[in-house]
Amino acid sequence: MAQQAKTMFIVALGIAACAVVLLLFLEVEVQWKVAALATGVVAVLLVMEKSGLRVRMEEASARHRTFALSLAVAASLVVAATLHESHFALLMLASVALYATACLGLTIQFGYAGIANFAGAAFFGIGCYSAAVLSAYTPVPHLLVIIAGAAIAALISSVLILPILRTRGHYAALITIAFGILFKTFLEVNDTLGGPQGLKVPGMQILGWSFNDPIRLGAGIEASFYLNYVVLSVLLAAFAFVVVKRLERSWIGLNLDAVRLDETAAAVSGIDIARWKILAFVFGNFLVGMAGAVYAMLTGFIAPANFTFGDSLILVSIVILGGVGNPLGVILAALLLLILPEKLQVIQEYRFLLYALLVIVILLFRPQGLLPRRLREYFPGRLRA
Amino acid sequence: MNQPVLAAAGLTVKFGGLTALDGLDLQLHANEILGLIGPNGSGKTTFFNAVTGLYRSAAGDVQVDGQRITGSSPQAISRAGVARTFQRSRLCLSLSIFDNLMIGNHRNLDHGIWMNIFRRDALASQVEEGMAKAHALLEIFSKPLARHLPDPVSTLTMIDRRRVEICRALISEPRILLLDEPSAGMTHDETHELMDDLLAARERLPALSVILIEHEMNVIERITSRCVVLNYGRKICEGAYNEVAADESVRKAYLGED
Amino acid sequence: MDPGLFGQYVLNGLMLGVIYAMVAVGFTLFFGVLDVIKFSHGDVVMVGAFVALAAFVGLQDAGVTSPLVMLLLATAVAMLAMALLGALIARFLVLPLRKAPALNTLLVTLMVGLALRETIRLFYPNGSNPKPFPRLLPADTYNFGALALRLDSLILLVTGLLAIVIVHLVINRTRLGLAIRAVAQDPETARVMGVNFERIVLITFGIGSALAALAGVTNGLYYNEVNFGMGLLLGVIGFSAAVVGGLGNIYGAILGGFLFAALQTVGAVWFSVPAYKDVFAFAAVIMLMAWKPTGLIAEKSAERV
Repeated sequence: MAQQAKTMFIVALGIAACAVVLLLFLEVEVQWKVAALATGVVAVLLVMEKSGLRVRMEEASARHRTFALSLAVAASLVVAATLHESHFALLMLASVALYATACLGLTIQFGYAGIANFAGAAFFGIGCYSAAVLSAYTPVPHLLVIIAGAAIAALISSVLILPILRTRGHYAALITIAFGILFKTFLEVNDTLGGPQGLKVPGMQILGWSFNDPIRLGAGIEASFYLNYVVLSVLLAAFAFVVVKRLERSWIGLNLDAVRLDETAAAVSGIDIARWKILAFVFGNFLVGMAGAVYAMLTGFIAPANFTFGDSLILVSIVILGGVGNPLGVILAALLLLILPEKLQVIQEYRFLLYALLVIVILLFRPQGLLPRRLREYFPGRLRA
Repeated sequence: MNQPVLAAAGLTVKFGGLTALDGLDLQLHANEILGLIGPNGSGKTTFFNAVTGLYRSAAGDVQVDGQRITGSSPQAISRAGVARTFQRSRLCLSLSIFDNLMIGNHRNLDHGIWMNIFRRDALASQVEEGMAKAHALLEIFSKPLARHLPDPVSTLTMIDRRRVEICRALISEPRILLLDEPSAGMTHDETHELMDDLLAARERLPALSVILIEHEMNVIERITSRCVVLNYGRKICEGAYNEVAADESVRKAYLGED
Repeated sequence: MDPGLFGQYVLNGLMLGVIYAMVAVGFTLFFGVLDVIKFSHGDVVMVGAFVALAAFVGLQDAGVTSPLVMLLLATAVAMLAMALLGALIARFLVLPLRKAPALNTLLVTLMVGLALRETIRLFYPNGSNPKPFPRLLPADTYNFGALALRLDSLILLVTGLLAIVIVHLVINRTRLGLAIRAVAQDPETARVMGVNFERIVLITFGIGSALAALAGVTNGLYYNEVNFGMGLLLGVIGFSAAVVGGLGNIYGAILGGFLFAALQTVGAVWFSVPAYKDVFAFAAVIMLMAWKPTGLIAEKSAERV
């Protein structure tokens, strides 16, 4: 029992440390301080990696996963509450949570089933445009709009999966690349969807509570309206995280791995390849579309330029950089890749180039990513043979 | 009563103009270990691939317990009780031994989405059952190996990988096991050890019938009760090992090839 | 449709087709020797066009005035530079990943493409804006009714076809080509037979990339404009063409190139908004893939089990 309390305490300490670092990152403005902070974080991560502390922390938080997740959600909300006056910091936080949600969807596809999806931004865009059209022209309640955005992305995936199932490897990759470019071109030439100028998206309203109004917290304290979106986005990301983790720690996760690693061996063991590829592709894009729908309402404005092939590559970079198949890595990479260029203005202009070089270096020298995926434990801490 | 467990009749497989398997008739009887031998490229593995549904046959058919399985998917054939290993190991190296065995145990597991994601207690009891089963089966082959159930397969030696692969095929309790050259890449002693394990496993699984592709003739001599010899996709001889080994056409086939 | 107008469409389609085929041939050559997709190929096309442009500016500054000399020199510089770039990418980014999953190679080269795009955008003088590409070919026009036949287009068309034919002859009629085909058939056996595997791979990447540079220059001369983003679409189209034709097959790549151009042209005529042509062409590619999963001219080998 004492041992257990100790590990829980260490997990809590780790999460608190992450929250403090995140807070500092979002607060610091002076450029040399940002750079120093970034360097410090990298140094600490390296030390943790070399000393095996990183693995131990991951094991400990897996053992106390419910505790760790609730604490992490609470910590991000505390960070958000602390920054309640800063529109920009809150917008960043909400974007990170939504990108992470989308990348968790891609993790099911790339990391588990081994389906290369280079149209991530397109499915994100499908979620965005669905939300824009539904909330502007129909009385559908906004919570349902989010689900509808996800469902429409899933529906389109279930058509696109048909050619993917018939092809293998490079051929399948081409289908998603072609679809991504097709989608963006379609948006640009289609006037009813706003053409290249894009669409305005009304803000979120749930049961008469408008997300786009500032929040008054009694005695003269006023919080940015983005705080609403942070809460929603963090909850969505947590939901996606739990589902993806549980999926991985189940027979379904095993089936997906088998399909990725050896289709022939999987088939003669009785595993229905098509069924699991469909599930991974459709459900993965469901999450991507869900994130997109909220993102549209968060930013209030969407245009085809947000959904280019380059944006798909950013999503893929997050998945690869974090550690293919490790949901925790996805969160870390989303934080790094999205916040750092915003804070360090020197690299803002060069960020795509830096992402590209970073991913190349990772693939050449550490293909398993920053936080490598660990062996599957169906019930960590319990049930060891 | 005397119906064969597996019966191939006139089974033919073609790749473009090449006939890899040419009208093969073959029967496997209950509880039998049948040796399948022949020079390289004589169609042995092609036969396994055709039976397990990986290759489409151009003519002929295959029955398992009197049920026609020709043209069925590999999945359906697996459900009919046919399991196999591969000449070049096809384990998932990055997964644990347990995971690899559970891939073999596929048809006994519950794959419903709701159950897997939300009914975690039900899943836990299935995982526990699976562990007990995997442990018991591995122990027949190697007691130390059974203790390494959560370890990745990539850390194992060649012989242990073979054991895991055979266990992956056996764990679903198949009626028919197709072993494709289990001695490949192993020493003489290791092969001997593995065959001991295999015979021990068969004691526990009396309903099992085996077809064994093998180049090591002493293995064939030791564990098979009957052999079928292939050359250029055709059966050239059939009988007990001693008869087959003495046969003129068989000698010619081997000498002619090498 | 008016026959002159029809002829115009056919001519434009052929012009596009030859550019696409040149790009697709590169994809198919690389796939042949290494079974990889080098996605940065489209951006090599773009960099090739920019190198030619830079060389042209340099020659102009050096006082060269003959358009023919400038064109030949600039093209040669671009082809040599891209051959080198292609070989470098192969040597340091593609070959080291031979043992890794195929997806990793695709990803690395996708990122190389992004890096090349960004490098031009950030570091070429005023690189984020489209650049005019000089008209170095005689632009005489012959009119046949509604059909305006331009001499420069004709020269480009013939040059492109000639380049593809030359590559084809090199592959099928020379000792070097024999070695390339041996590596494509079976790298292990080729090595045993004394073929220097790595050298052949690098040479193949060099040839494909030089052809890409030529495609880039052709594209620049045809549209009289180059921009840092043009490689992406050309790359995807070249990849589509190679895949639709059947990877690893040079005839497939040529067929695919012209087919894609035909699809675009048909799309442009068919829809009242011509901009839908790419939507139409890519949708058709996706459907073609569903119909013929390994391309129109099927891939050579079946998987060994």
